[in-house]
Amino acid sequence: MEFWKQLCLEHGISPEGILEDFATDGTDRKDVFFYQADDEHYIPRAVLLDLEPRVIHSILNSPYANLYNPENIYLSKHGGGAGNNWASGYTQGDRLYEEVFDIIDREADGSDSLEAFVICHSIAGGTGSGMGSYLLEKLNDRFPKKLIQTYSVFPNQVEISDVVVQPYNSMLTLKRLTQNADCVVILDNTALNRIATERLHLRNPDFSQINQMVSTIMSGSTTTLRYPGYMNNDLVGLLASLIPTPRLHFLMTGYTPLTLGTEQNGEVDPTQVSHYHPSPHPTPHPKHSGTRDSNFCYISILNIIQGEVDPTQVHKSLQRIRERKLAQFIPWGPASIQVALSRKSPYVQTAHRVSGLMLANHTSIVSLFERTCEQYDKLRKREAFLEQFRKEPIFKDNLDELDDSRNVVQELVDEYHAATRPDYITWGTQKASKQSTKA
Amino acid sequence: MSEFKVHHHVSELMHVLGIKGSEGPEVYAELMTKNIRPFISTLVSAHQAKRKIAEFTKTPEEFLRKYDDLKSKNVKDLDAMVFLISKLSDDKSTTSVLSQNAKLYEMPMDRASVPAPGTKMTQAELSEVRSQLQSLATSGGSSQASEMFRKMMREKQVKKNLNMTLPDLPPWVFDRPFLTRDYVVLNRAPITPGVTLGTLPVGMQEMAIVNDGAEGKYTTLAYNQDKSGERSIVVDPSLDPSLRELANRVIPICTNYSTIVHFTEDKSSFEYGMVNHALCGAMKTLLKEYNVLIAQLENQYKQGNLPLQKLWFYVQPCMHTMDILSSIATGINKGACTGGVVLSLLHERTLSMIGDARGQELCLFLTQSACAPYFELLEKWIFKGVIKDPYCEFMIEEHESMHKEKIQQDYNDAYWEQRYTICRDRIPVFLELLADKILRTGKYLNVVRQCGQNSNSPQAEEILYTLKERQYVDQIEKAYNYASKLLLDLVMEERELIPRLRSIKRYFLVEQGDFFVNLMDITEEEMRKMADDIIITRLESLLELALRTSQANSDPYKDDLRVELSPYDLITQLLRIHSIDSRQEQVLQAVDPSEIHISGLEAFSFDYVVKWPESLVLSRKALTKYQLIFRHLFYCKHVDRTLCNVWTLNKSAKQLLLKTSTWYLLAFALCQRMMHLVQNLQYYMLFEVVEPNWHILMDSLRKASNIDDVLAHHNDFLDKCLKDCMLTTPQLLKIVSKLMLVCVTFSNFIQRATRTLTVESETSLLLDPTTPRKESREDEMDTSDTDKRGVASRVVSGHVSQLDSSEDFAETVTNFDSNFSSLLIDLLDKLSLYSATNTEHTKMNIIHRLDFNGFYTEQLEKVAADRSMAAMEGQE
Repeated sequence: MEFWKQLCLEHGISPEGILEDFATDGTDRKDVFFYQADDEHYIPRAVLLDLEPRVIHSILNSPYANLYNPENIYLSKHGGGAGNNWASGYTQGDRLYEEVFDIIDREADGSDSLEAFVICHSIAGGTGSGMGSYLLEKLNDRFPKKLIQTYSVFPNQVEISDVVVQPYNSMLTLKRLTQNADCVVILDNTALNRIATERLHLRNPDFSQINQMVSTIMSGSTTTLRYPGYMNNDLVGLLASLIPTPRLHFLMTGYTPLTLGTEQNGEVDPTQVSHYHPSPHPTPHPKHSGTRDSNFCYISILNIIQGEVDPTQVHKSLQRIRERKLAQFIPWGPASIQVALSRKSPYVQTAHRVSGLMLANHTSIVSLFERTCEQYDKLRKREAFLEQFRKEPIFKDNLDELDDSRNVVQELVDEYHAATRPDYITWGTQKASKQSTKA
Repeated sequence: MSEFKVHHHVSELMHVLGIKGSEGPEVYAELMTKNIRPFISTLVSAHQAKRKIAEFTKTPEEFLRKYDDLKSKNVKDLDAMVFLISKLSDDKSTTSVLSQNAKLYEMPMDRASVPAPGTKMTQAELSEVRSQLQSLATSGGSSQASEMFRKMMREKQVKKNLNMTLPDLPPWVFDRPFLTRDYVVLNRAPITPGVTLGTLPVGMQEMAIVNDGAEGKYTTLAYNQDKSGERSIVVDPSLDPSLRELANRVIPICTNYSTIVHFTEDKSSFEYGMVNHALCGAMKTLLKEYNVLIAQLENQYKQGNLPLQKLWFYVQPCMHTMDILSSIATGINKGACTGGVVLSLLHERTLSMIGDARGQELCLFLTQSACAPYFELLEKWIFKGVIKDPYCEFMIEEHESMHKEKIQQDYNDAYWEQRYTICRDRIPVFLELLADKILRTGKYLNVVRQCGQNSNSPQAEEILYTLKERQYVDQIEKAYNYASKLLLDLVMEERELIPRLRSIKRYFLVEQGDFFVNLMDITEEEMRKMADDIIITRLESLLELALRTSQANSDPYKDDLRVELSPYDLITQLLRIHSIDSRQEQVLQAVDPSEIHISGLEAFSFDYVVKWPESLVLSRKALTKYQLIFRHLFYCKHVDRTLCNVWTLNKSAKQLLLKTSTWYLLAFALCQRMMHLVQNLQYYMLFEVVEPNWHILMDSLRKASNIDDVLAHHNDFLDKCLKDCMLTTPQLLKIVSKLMLVCVTFSNFIQRATRTLTVESETSLLLDPTTPRKESREDEMDTSDTDKRGVASRVVSGHVSQLDSSEDFAETVTNFDSNFSSLLIDLLDKLSLYSATNTEHTKMNIIHRLDFNGFYTEQLEKVAADRSMAAMEGQE
C-alpha cells in the first residue's frame, strides 16, 4: 500500500521495517503508526483485510511484503470475494467476525494510547462497502469511546461503472458512514482521475498513481501527529474543530503542490494558502462554487502546512482571504481557516520547501450525495439487480434496509442544505415541530 | 543619582528645612530630577550658571569664593549642583517657598546671615546639598582633620572587609618628632639673636641668612596649630631690604618642601591606599634629587662659596618642580583624595600642563607611578577577575554577601547586578568611559572561574598609563573581548545554552505536543484533586513516564524537568505581581494561601533545574516568567482537551439525534464556538507570539557578543511573550480566564448530561425488549411483576423527567451561550480598544482570527457604538 510506503519513507524505515541508519535520532513519532517488534523492526499498526486474494497477493509480492505483520493479513478462506455485492460483504463480515476481531483486539491491546481507527475502503464494491460497513458498526459497538476515521473512495460516477449495483452499495455504506464514522475523508475517484489527467497531464492514470495521490493526502493529514509540534497533536483536536455537529463529518481535501514522485507541477507560493489545487474533491470546483452561484459554504477549513513557514506570512494570506472574501463561511457560527503548522520529514527530499494539505468541511459535498441518491433512485424505481441482495440474510424478508438507508442519506442531505442557512442552529427544532404538527 | 535617591534626599531636605510641605516632596523631586538631567553640562553652562547665581545674589564675591573653594577641593558634581542652583534661582515659586520658610525658621545655617532671602536660601541649599554630597562622595571637607579622616577611612574599611584590618603604624612614628624630614618644630624657647640682623653689614647679613636654617635665628617658622597646616617662613624684618627681597624669593621653596615632605610622610600610612603610597614614593625620589642639591649647596657654603645670589641661582630650576609637587600635594590634601580620585587629579594636572614640557613630564612621571598600583589592580581584575583591594581604591567593589546560589531562589538578578558594582567616585577620569567594560570583563572572568575553568587571560600584559589613551584603552578592549568571548563560548558551546533553551521551550512553551497529550492523559485523575491532596512524587513519576513515552525522550535535558505546585492559581499570582507596584498589595497579600483551594490543574507548573552558570540566563526570575506563560498555555490546552472530550461524547448522539434531542444542535454549536475560541487563542499565542519571538531570540543570540546581550535578549523575549499573551494586562486576562471558566463548566455540564442520557438510553434499550415480554406475561405472573413494574415505572419516570429536563437543558445551554457570547464580545471589544490605543497590532490578529467570517462583527460594532454613545452622554 502506497500509504505505508509513504510513511516508511517519511520516517526513514526500510521496506523490511528496519530503521535506516540516517534516521536513528529522529524526533518524529514512529510509534503513532508503527510499533517496534524487537530492537530494530518497525511494524505497521495495520490490519489488511480482503475477501479475495488478488490485491493482498500483489502486496505480498511487493518489496514491502515483509513490512507487515503476517498475522495481521487476513484473507477469507472462502476466497471468492463479495462479488461486488454489499449484502454479501456484510454477511461475510458477520461470519468472519470472530477471527477479524481477534486480530483487531490484539492490535488495540498493543497500542498504548489508542485514540482512533482509520479505515480505508471503497464504497462501490462488495468487500470495502459491505464488510467495511459491518466493521464500522461493530467497531463502534466495541470501542464506543474511540474515534473512527475513514478514507472512503467514492466511485467514478461519470462513466458507467462495471459494477451495476454500485448505487445500492454506496447508499448502504453511506448510511453507516453517516451513523458510525466520526470523520469521513472523501476520496472521489472522479476528481482524482480528472486531476491526474488535467493537472498532472497523465494520459491514462493508473491505480498506483492515484494511490500515490491518496497516500500523500493520508500522510499529510497525519503529520501533526507524527511530527509533534505546539498544537494538534491528537486526532480529536484535529477533527473536533473541523466537525461542528456530529453528522456533518464528510471532509474534502486539497493538496499543494501536486506532485507524483519527482515530477512536479507548477510554481508554488507557500504562503498562498488559498491557492490549493482543488485536488481530490468530489464536485467540480467546489472551491469556486461557494462564491459563484449557490450558497454553498465552508463549515470549516483546516490547513496543515508542512515545512518552514513564517507565521506572519500565513497570517497575511489569511487576512487577504478574509478581506477579499475569497471563501464563504457558514453564517451561523464562527468559522475560520485553522492552520496547523507542522514539520516536514527530514528524510524525504522534495522540490518544495513547503507543502500544504487542506481538509475542508464544505456543504457542496452534498452534491455528491445527491448524485448518489439520483442514481440509486433510478435503479430502485426499476427494482433492478436486487436478486443478489435478496439472497443474503439481511434482505431476506424485505428491502427495508435499503429504504432506511435512503432516508438517512436524505436527512443528511437536508442537514447539509440547512447548514448553509443562518437558522441552522434551530433547524432541528423546526423539523421537530413540523413533525409534531403532522402527527 | 538614582531617582530613588533623589526622592530620599528631597524629603530629607524638606525635613531639615522644616517645610511642612503644602505640595509634598514629589513636586520638588520632580523639579530636581528635571534639573539634574542636563548634567551633560559642559563647562560653559557651569560658567553661565555661576554667573547667573552671582548676579542673583547680593553677595557675589562671597559666593564665588565659596565656589572656588569647593572647586579647589575637587568636589564632584560641583558644576552640576551649581547648575541646579541657578535653575532654582530661576524658579520663582521655589525661591519664594524657600524664603518664606527661611523667615519662619531662622535656621542655624552657616550662611544664614547673608541678607538677600533668595540667595540665602540658595546658599542654605548649597551648603545642605554640599554636605550631602560630601557624605556621598566621602571626598568632602578638607577642614576635617586628617586624624578624623583616617579614622573614617579606617571605619569604612573595617566595615568593608570585616575579616581584614589594616595594620597600624606603630605609635613611635607619631611620637618621635625627629623621624621626619620636615622642618622639626621644637618647643624650645626661641633663641634670641645675639645681634639684631639689621645692624650687621650687608655682607655679614648675607652670610647669616644663608647659614641660618629653617628655624634659625633670623627666619622663624610660623605655622598653624594643626599639623597639616600650611607653614610659612618669616624672615627677620630687620634684614637689608634687597637681601630680604631675594630671601623671600627663595623661601617658597622651603614652604613647598615642607608641604611635600609632610604630605609624603602623612600619606605613607596605610589608610591612604596604594595609589597615594606610590605617589609619595615618586615624590620622594624627586625629593632625593632636591636633597642632593641641598647637600651640594651646603658644600659650597662650607667652602664659603655661596652668596645668596648664587643660592637663588642654584635653587631656581627646582623651584618649579617643588611648586608643582606642592600644589598637587595640597590638592590631594584638600580633597582628602584616595585611589581613583588622586589619579583623576593627577591626570587633570598633567593635561593642564600641556604648554609646559618639563612640568608635563614631571606630572606624567608622577601620574605613571601613582597609576602603577591601580593598574596592577586593574590588570588582576581584567585578566584574572580577582579583586585584591585592601584600601578600597579600585573602582569595582565586590559584595561577598551575594552568592551565586541565590540566583536560583531569588526573584531578582541581584547576583549578577550587585555582586560587583562600580563605585562611580573611584573611577579615574581617564577610565570613565571604559568603566562598564572593565566591570564586565572581570565579571565574566569570575563566572568562568567559578565554573572551575581557567579564566586567566593569556594576553595579560602590563598596562601603563600614558597620555595617549589609545594604548591602555586597546588593552582593556582586548581583555574585554577575550573575556566576553570566553564566557559566551562557555555558556553557549560548552553548556549548550541554546539547546537548553530549546528544551525549556519544549516544556514551558508546550512545543512538545505529544508529551502534553500523554501527560494530560495519565495525570487526569491526579489533576482533578485539590492541590493539597496531590502527592508530588506521584506526579513526578507520572511526568517521568510521560517524558519517556513521548518524543521528549530524545531530549538530553529532560531529566531537569520537575513538577511544581504553586500555592496560587495563575490569575491570583499574576494579580499579585501586577499589584506589587500599586497599592493594593497588602489586600492581596492578606489572603492566606492555605485558604485558597485550587485544583491540581490550576496549581500545576513545571520547574527546571538549572545549574551554574546557565542560571545567569535562566534565573529564577526568568523561570517564573516561563512558568507564567506555561500555566496559561497549559490551562488553554486543558480547556481545549475538555472541549474535545465533549465532542467525542457527542459521537454517541449521532444516531439519537435523528429521533430526539433537537436542542443538541444548540449545544454542539456552542461547543464549536468555544473550541474555535480556545484553539484560535492557542494558535495565536503559539504561532504568532511564541514562535516568531523565538526566532528573533535565536537570531539575536547568534549575534550576541557577550553574556549581557544574551541576558537582555532573553529577557526581552520573555517580556514580549508575556505581554502579547495578554498576561500583563489584568483586564484582558480576567476576561480570558472567565471565558475559560465558562468553557470548563459548560463541558462539565454536558458531560454530566450525556452520562445520564447514555444511562437512560441503555436502560431504555434494556427495557425495550422486556416491555413487550412483560406485557405478554403480565397476566400470568402478577406477583413477581410488581417489582419489575416498579423498576420500569421508575425508569419511565426517569425518562419522562429527562424529557422534561431537556427543556431545562436547552435553557441552561442558552444561558451558557449568552454568557459566553457576552464575555467573548467583551474580550474582542477590549482587545480592539487596546490595539487601537496602545498600538499593539499583534492583538488585532486575535480579533481577526476569532472573527474570521465576520460572525461577531455585528455585535462588536454594536458594543462599540454603545460605548461611543455612552461617551457622548458622559461628555454632555
